[in-house]
Amino acid sequence: MADLIKCPSCGESNQPDQEFCHYCRTRLQPLTSSTKGADAPIKPGQLPTKKNTAELEPILPQWLRDARDTARKSAEDDAALAAKKAQAAPASSAPDLLAGLHSQADSDEDETPDWLASITGDTPKSRKAQAESPEVRWVELGDAKDFPKEEPPAKSETPAWLADINAANSKPDEKDELGDWFRAASSTDEPLQPAKVSPFEIPSSNDGTADWLKQMAADSMQDDGSGFNNKNEAFKAPSSSADTPDWLRQMNEQEDIKNETPLRNESKPAFDVPSSDTPDWLRAMGGVSEEPAQSADPFNFPGSGSTEPEAPVIPAVPDENMPDWLKAPSPVESASKPRKTGQLPAWLKDESNTPPEEEEVPVWLAETPTPVEPAAGKPEPFLMDDQSANLGDDVPGWLQAAAPQSSVFDIPPSEQPATAVSDSADAPDWLNAFKSVDASQQTPAFSLDESFESSAPAFTSDPLEEKSGEALFTEMPDWLSNVTESSSSRSSVTNPESIAPGELPSWVQAMRPVDSTPSRPVMSSSPQSSDQTLESRGALAGLQGVLPSVPGYAPTSKPKAYSIKLQASDEQQAHAALLEQILAAETEPVPIASFSALRTSRTLRWILAAVLLAVLTVASFAQTRIFSLPTDVPYEIGSAWQVVQSIPEGAPVLVAFDYEPARVGEMEAIAAPLFNLMKNPALTFLSTNETGALLADRFASGPMTSLNNGGGLSYSNLGYLPGGQMGIRAFAEFPSAAMPQLTGISSFSQFSAFILITDNADDARAWIEQTGSARGAIPFVVISSAQAAPMIHPYFESQQINGLVGGLYGSAVLEANNPGGPGTARAYWDSFSLGMLLAMVLILGGGLLNLGLGLRDRAAVREA
Amino acid sequence: MTFSLDLITGAVSFLITLLIFSYLIGDNPLFRIAIYAFVGVSSGYVAAVIFRQIILLRLFQPFAVAMISGSLLDKSLTLVPVLFSLLIFMKISPRLAGMGRVAMAFLVGVAAAVTIAGALTGTLLPQALGAINTFDMNAALARNIQPFEVIGSGAITLAGTIFTLIYFHFGAHPKPDGSMRRLGLIEIFAWLGRIFIGITLGAIFAGVYAAALTALIERIAFLINFIGKFL
Repeated sequence: MADLIKCPSCGESNQPDQEFCHYCRTRLQPLTSSTKGADAPIKPGQLPTKKNTAELEPILPQWLRDARDTARKSAEDDAALAAKKAQAAPASSAPDLLAGLHSQADSDEDETPDWLASITGDTPKSRKAQAESPEVRWVELGDAKDFPKEEPPAKSETPAWLADINAANSKPDEKDELGDWFRAASSTDEPLQPAKVSPFEIPSSNDGTADWLKQMAADSMQDDGSGFNNKNEAFKAPSSSADTPDWLRQMNEQEDIKNETPLRNESKPAFDVPSSDTPDWLRAMGGVSEEPAQSADPFNFPGSGSTEPEAPVIPAVPDENMPDWLKAPSPVESASKPRKTGQLPAWLKDESNTPPEEEEVPVWLAETPTPVEPAAGKPEPFLMDDQSANLGDDVPGWLQAAAPQSSVFDIPPSEQPATAVSDSADAPDWLNAFKSVDASQQTPAFSLDESFESSAPAFTSDPLEEKSGEALFTEMPDWLSNVTESSSSRSSVTNPESIAPGELPSWVQAMRPVDSTPSRPVMSSSPQSSDQTLESRGALAGLQGVLPSVPGYAPTSKPKAYSIKLQASDEQQAHAALLEQILAAETEPVPIASFSALRTSRTLRWILAAVLLAVLTVASFAQTRIFSLPTDVPYEIGSAWQVVQSIPEGAPVLVAFDYEPARVGEMEAIAAPLFNLMKNPALTFLSTNETGALLADRFASGPMTSLNNGGGLSYSNLGYLPGGQMGIRAFAEFPSAAMPQLTGISSFSQFSAFILITDNADDARAWIEQTGSARGAIPFVVISSAQAAPMIHPYFESQQINGLVGGLYGSAVLEANNPGGPGTARAYWDSFSLGMLLAMVLILGGGLLNLGLGLRDRAAVREA
Repeated sequence: MTFSLDLITGAVSFLITLLIFSYLIGDNPLFRIAIYAFVGVSSGYVAAVIFRQIILLRLFQPFAVAMISGSLLDKSLTLVPVLFSLLIFMKISPRLAGMGRVAMAFLVGVAAAVTIAGALTGTLLPQALGAINTFDMNAALARNIQPFEVIGSGAITLAGTIFTLIYFHFGAHPKPDGSMRRLGLIEIFAWLGRIFIGITLGAIFAGVYAAALTALIERIAFLINFIGKFL
């Protein structure tokens, strides 16, 4: 029987290896895999791992350190006090069946925060630790070995700083947490004597409703003499029977008394409202309702004893001081005579055993599912339990986090679990709204109390109506038994010694939203609240049922299956296919013909340059005659030869020097042999290039100095002819006008011949085009560079020019056939021939290499 | 050893030649020095030539002579170039650039007319007639060219001309697969024209290489001769 798992839903014990509960089929094993080690999320009931955070102490704020110190001191004091009380308390004679109820009662007392109790002047009670059976563990709590078997004595959950507040509240002259207006209102009223506060004096539960409103509601409710308050008193009634819980017996007695003397509660007020904390208007309203309470004590039952304090007499507020909404329903009337059932809301009607009337149920109550349908004469304390259970949960997080030494799971003791309910019929609408929250919607969605309230089967009318009171006592439902264990488990969490080391500081882990009441899910066994999935990770780690599945949102039937097959005709499909084809063609990347980048290899370039320079240098230096000059005279060269030789001696010959200075070496080598054939003509130099005149002078003073047996040439340099083609045209039309330096020539046709030396085909074309009409029959010979000769040759074919000598080849031809002997062309010819041969070899070799590489690549591609 | 002008010019030429040759190892400051020197000297020389032979001799001197002793017609005729020159000179100022439009329009118009007329009468028609006359037997016989050679040469010339022109014909028709292609026959002729164009460009490249090679040989011969003077 060791290591059993208790179902969180039905409370039955199951084998540890069972995934689902054998009784209710509730999942026992979590769906999510738990992480191990330091990363393991904290579980409900599991204590935060203890961390050595001593180094973090200095960085804590001063107020927090003070609070921690104070809490340590008060915890030690409270522990000692609790130990004394535990020794002095008599052994419980209640059977196990009632253990849960007793525990719940204790827990209800504990659920009132100390600071709330201190406000009313009550001394907070220390918690009573209850040991859980070591053989049974809850699913949410993990393994049984995760928790200490022996729980240390519970310490007081009241931190020191809260104790200070209590002490401060005990002093009437000091300020408390209430506002000044509240205190001022109490000072104007008659001082009440809350020396002994009845258990019903707890203002209210921390369910979001203002305390003073709940206090007011409690006052009104007491005046009405509803059995709801009597139920609260039942928890404090002494046990008259060993087998019967006190509260149940008290309920029976209360019901009997209520039936007999429903409105004889005038002896004592239902609640001892601390008048010093009540504003005027509120006291006025409460005073009216408390006026009949002075003569009747609704809880003055035979079993209750006479421990109730004397209620203060609160004078009634004059009607003229009351607001209209308070005047309308006279509480005196409601206290003096029984209230009509129709004036009470449904939740009060239930308590007063009045048959509910459908037409009188408020909307907010009608929309809320009524969880309880008590049988006649058997009021149910579910609201009380529910609200009392919320006391501990309603302690604000900042308050819990600020008291690290006291366990965050501790719920301050509550001495008054009852919740005051005022007369909804007499209260205004906004007050009824608060009541509605108190009655049915006071717990948040993720609170375990919701399931407790909405789906507790024990409160259904069926078992209560079918069974008698004895059967009810003997057949205690499981959820009541689980309350004891939940309380014990909750107390086990408070054990500070069981804190295991972890990664986070303990006070940081204490701030995590760990559910301190893992046993509460057992209260909800209905299908509506069956979603008790424990969040094991994330921000909601430790919370259970935080995201419950809403029944209304769940699919009620199998979803209708729809066919996903496209209903399209063949034509539509053909169009779709065509569209897809078009889109595919549009989106298909078009491969760009990429060429391998021809990177110039510097090494190769240097090698070629070195080879070429070496060959040319050696050939030039050696003055070799390896290659003979070409003897065959091309037709254009022969024509040029004939033209030059036909120029008579002393005839004016126009020579145009239109080449760049960079071509001097080539052009002079080409032109010199041709000029060597002339018979001392009268040369006129002209140039359309700015540097042409200088080049003409260089030519006349250079290669031509050896002409005519060293006599040279007689020439006149006209210089630069501006205007490009327009200048040429002008010179062709009016030579003397274009070149004023020209003397003896009035027209272009007066020249015996025209010789153009150029390295540019465009210049040759310009001279050919612009002088065509003016030239007449004079011969026109072009001496061109090798680079321009191919483009000038067509003009020779068209007979627009009479001769063409192009390149060093033409010069070599002239020299080869010149009787004057070899000249510059012969000196350059071997080097030129070697250079041309080398170029051809390199070009052919490179071409063959490229061809071989291409064939290899193609073969590789073909093989691939 | 006397430092003659030829020696100095030869030494400078030798040095500049070596600087230009340094481009074989890539762009370097020595090469740039030579280039900048050449550009600077050339620009200065050109400016001097233009000022002396154009501005001074063809603009101010005729204008001055006309103003001094010329007739009204001479003055007017010599004033026009001066006026147009001033208008063109206004283009240095963006605000006054519009004033030079008239002179520029005149220059552009005259240049266009001269160029078009010269191209039409000097190149297009004569070249067309030359292509036709390639089959002229009389002309061939006058040049001692055999008839078959005339026919062959003329056929190659005609084919090269036609195929080259067809190559630059880009008219095409859409194909069923969406591609644009020329007609089959035109495609073939264009391919043949591409061959002729390749041959022509090869000949031009060979001429360029031959020209550059000749210039290189001349420079190497200069260096050898210059060094040989000291050996």
